[in-house]
Amino acid sequence: VARDLPWWIRALLRAAAPATSEEELGDIAEEYTRGASPVWICRQLVSAVGRGSPRRASRRNAGTFLSQTVEDLRLAFRTLRRHPGFAFAAVAPIALGVGLNTAGFSIFDAIALQPVASPGANQLVTVYQEFKGVKKRHVHGARRMFSVPEYRTLRDGTRSLTGLAAFTRYWTVTLGGDSPREVNGVLVSCNYFDVLRIVPSLGPGFTAATCEAADAPPAVVLSHSLWTAAFASDRAIVGQTIPLNGRAVMVAGVAPEGFGGIDVAQVSFFAPLSMQEMLEPDARYYLDPDTSWLALVGRRTDGTTIAQVRAELGLVAEEIDRRQPGRTTRLIVEPARALSMPEARRDIFQLVAVLGAAFGLVLLIACANVANLLLARGAARQKEIAVRLSLGVGRARLIRQLMTESLLIAGAGTIAGSLLARWSFQGLFAMLVSLAPEQVPALRLDAGLNMHVIAFAIAITGVTSLAFGLVPALQASRLDIQALLNRDTAGAGRRATGWLRGSLIGVQAAVCTVLMISAALLLRAAYVTETLDPGFAYRGVAVVSFDTRSLGYERRQAAAFRQTLIDRLRALPGVESIAEAGKTPLSPGDMQTTVRRSDGEPWQEIDFNSVSPEYFSVVRVPIVRGRTFTASEGAGPARTVIVTEATARRFWPGEDAIGRTLRMALGPDRDVALEVVGIVADAQMTRIADTTTPCMYLPAEAESADGRYLLVRSAADHAAVARSVRAIARDLAAGLVVSVAPLEQNLDLWRGLSRVIAGVSGSLSLVALLMAAVGIYGVVAFVVSRRLREMGIRMILGAALGDVRRLILRQTLRPVVLGLIAGMAGAGAASRVLESVLFGVSPLDPVSFAAAPLLLLAIAIAAGLTPTRRLLTIEPAAVLRRE
Amino acid sequence: MAKRDHLGEFEQIVLLAVLRLGSGAYGAAIRREIEARTRRSLTVGALYSTLDRLEAKGYVRSWFGDPTPERGGRSKRHFEVRPVGVRTLRASHEALTAMWEGLEPEVTRGA
Repeated sequence: VARDLPWWIRALLRAAAPATSEEELGDIAEEYTRGASPVWICRQLVSAVGRGSPRRASRRNAGTFLSQTVEDLRLAFRTLRRHPGFAFAAVAPIALGVGLNTAGFSIFDAIALQPVASPGANQLVTVYQEFKGVKKRHVHGARRMFSVPEYRTLRDGTRSLTGLAAFTRYWTVTLGGDSPREVNGVLVSCNYFDVLRIVPSLGPGFTAATCEAADAPPAVVLSHSLWTAAFASDRAIVGQTIPLNGRAVMVAGVAPEGFGGIDVAQVSFFAPLSMQEMLEPDARYYLDPDTSWLALVGRRTDGTTIAQVRAELGLVAEEIDRRQPGRTTRLIVEPARALSMPEARRDIFQLVAVLGAAFGLVLLIACANVANLLLARGAARQKEIAVRLSLGVGRARLIRQLMTESLLIAGAGTIAGSLLARWSFQGLFAMLVSLAPEQVPALRLDAGLNMHVIAFAIAITGVTSLAFGLVPALQASRLDIQALLNRDTAGAGRRATGWLRGSLIGVQAAVCTVLMISAALLLRAAYVTETLDPGFAYRGVAVVSFDTRSLGYERRQAAAFRQTLIDRLRALPGVESIAEAGKTPLSPGDMQTTVRRSDGEPWQEIDFNSVSPEYFSVVRVPIVRGRTFTASEGAGPARTVIVTEATARRFWPGEDAIGRTLRMALGPDRDVALEVVGIVADAQMTRIADTTTPCMYLPAEAESADGRYLLVRSAADHAAVARSVRAIARDLAAGLVVSVAPLEQNLDLWRGLSRVIAGVSGSLSLVALLMAAVGIYGVVAFVVSRRLREMGIRMILGAALGDVRRLILRQTLRPVVLGLIAGMAGAGAASRVLESVLFGVSPLDPVSFAAAPLLLLAIAIAAGLTPTRRLLTIEPAAVLRRE
Repeated sequence: MAKRDHLGEFEQIVLLAVLRLGSGAYGAAIRREIEARTRRSLTVGALYSTLDRLEAKGYVRSWFGDPTPERGGRSKRHFEVRPVGVRTLRASHEALTAMWEGLEPEVTRGA
């Protein structure tokens, strides 16, 4: 039986020992044919490398590339081991910088780059669409999603996918029982689990009987964690019914442990798409062809490429276009990732770009530090290098040797940093979660060592070793042997390295300044969010939220329930006033619509809220002119509007807005005229630190089944109010989940966000400051040690100690100051990126721009002054005697 | 006899293996013969560097046979000890025997 060696063994042999002859290869192949063990083959490989061993290489004055590298590595390793202090000083900053970057990358990787939690995940693709020429489109989720008819067309038309499943954004429903609770789930197509190859751990899951049939009873598949938490892992649950939003729903199965959907945010149950109308009685869009609400995930058949899927689905999409004249659809087919939504991905990528830049800057400072160390060492190693050069080692060879040392330092730093990242990751993540606002849902994140992270770490090792090693290596190898022979060690090549050291310190100072100013701005913003006055009274107000849709209430029932609840609440001791609102002040999410003053003008986006007449008195936002709504204005569709002062100024500058009309769009070619009846003071109602974006209030429609908030202003303390509200609600509707939270919690969301950002940037700049300080200290210490003799002479000639110190400091700090100035300019440009999270702090805030550089300068002076203490011990005569 | 005719231990082993195998002496067979008799393992590379050295000194000569499939279509390199190799081997043997004379019982017992 003829079997040649596998190609990679041949390739390895050729690379390791190019001298390997054909007959040797033949012998190895012969043994391989006879069934030699892999260990034996490996031994042949190792011995082939050994044959280019250092001893023989030097004897022949050549050697293979690999054997030279082995020799260089050995040399570098010995050098580092002989100077443990230097090794630590060089490896530690790299470890810190790389650790930060690797940890950051592995989080990013887990969120955005990892395939979804499904067997054979690399076959999965997500499908989204972009379309033009469509007049009417409702969106529940994102515009790029699909409607059921569109989904079915694609699913039935594809041959390149073995299956195409649909799932929705995430829903909150009420799980009834003794203690009702809200749970999150997704609606999915019947083939969802099949396409993902997820086999329920219990029960049949969705089958033709429980899902596809027209008369199929409502059914859900529970997540393993919900099954454990809410049903005590009861194996008899399958086939029984549970109350979801007040309706009996059959349990069709339990998903395997650890599976909570394929998005980063994990869910607790899965229900068929057809249950949409049951869960949202007042919004029927299950089969509506013009509603975007489904994300699609499909599995490629074996041997089909993404490009083929794209081409084929593109043809199927033309069929959709034919049904709607004028429409053109473009499909977006991508490998499935945990973060599948293009919008969400764009947001994350923007965030990553900013954070990545900051992390990269810290690594840059670390590199500058190590580069400076290497420059200093290069100067100290002049003798060794001179000897090698005079023995005939070429400059290229010498540079390679020095670069190998850098690579070893970077490699050690990467390994230490990756371990650091791995150990600190859980802690780091926990810290972020604890700082983050409570409303963040459960996330699936298994950030560990995987091929992405390893590839990233290897790439970063290469780049950093080049970044800090190349210049010093070039510098060290450009040695003037003549000058050395003249024994003028102090003078040789000093001017050039001095300049280099200076610019490295300058770069460090500049980068550090950028980071510190950014951190100062963000800390100021965090302080602002903690202390600000939003312009409305948030203390003493409880937000009561509930969703009567979960009881299956129709409009009339919902309105009646709300009225009874309000009446009962009003009777509570301490309650002063109660208002209804579609959105509470500073709550997350936007409510926007478009308006214009008259026909022919362009439509403008405007924030809006629908509120009851008492709203402004509850949140204590004064009505500047006009009046609030009347009770009757809430009876029918909105005809009146109240605008903020900023809005009035924007639409009717210099005029009185009362009595004017604003036209609000209702559909593609429908609008309604609204009469301005009141003007309220500007307040930060929608976003922190924003009072100028146009905003208007519509009367809350009395008869609506929509979820709505009650704002209860009470003199009693919040806990007492919450208790009474819950008791009353339980009394009125036992199965309703009512949450009561202080209005101030809405501010906590912004504060939490701000705290996380300020925390991260603050720690980053602290690390940067520390490294820059160490760098400056190191350089000054080096300069002092090299110039002791000169300083001694100066002092003999009558210079005072203070003069000498000032001299050294002036020379070292000049690049720091230049760096500071460059850094301030850089920060001026960079801070614009941060504007959206600065909450009103100016991106050019003078306090931050003054404080951060001053602090850095102070630290730099302290770091520079410390090593000059050594001058105190100078004994001029002794210094002069030294050679 | 000149100094340069001295053979190292491993060189002697390799030459003896080539002699033993006669017309069947080629790389892999030589290596297997040595491994079987001395019970020590030997890498392909190490053997060829010794064989190359012996050929350079003129003790062996080599030629290529026909390509065979089990070697991935590569030729065997056959070896043969030349008369000068045999003479040097004999000289080494004589030198060793002379040194060993009378010591054999003692050393063997000690082992």
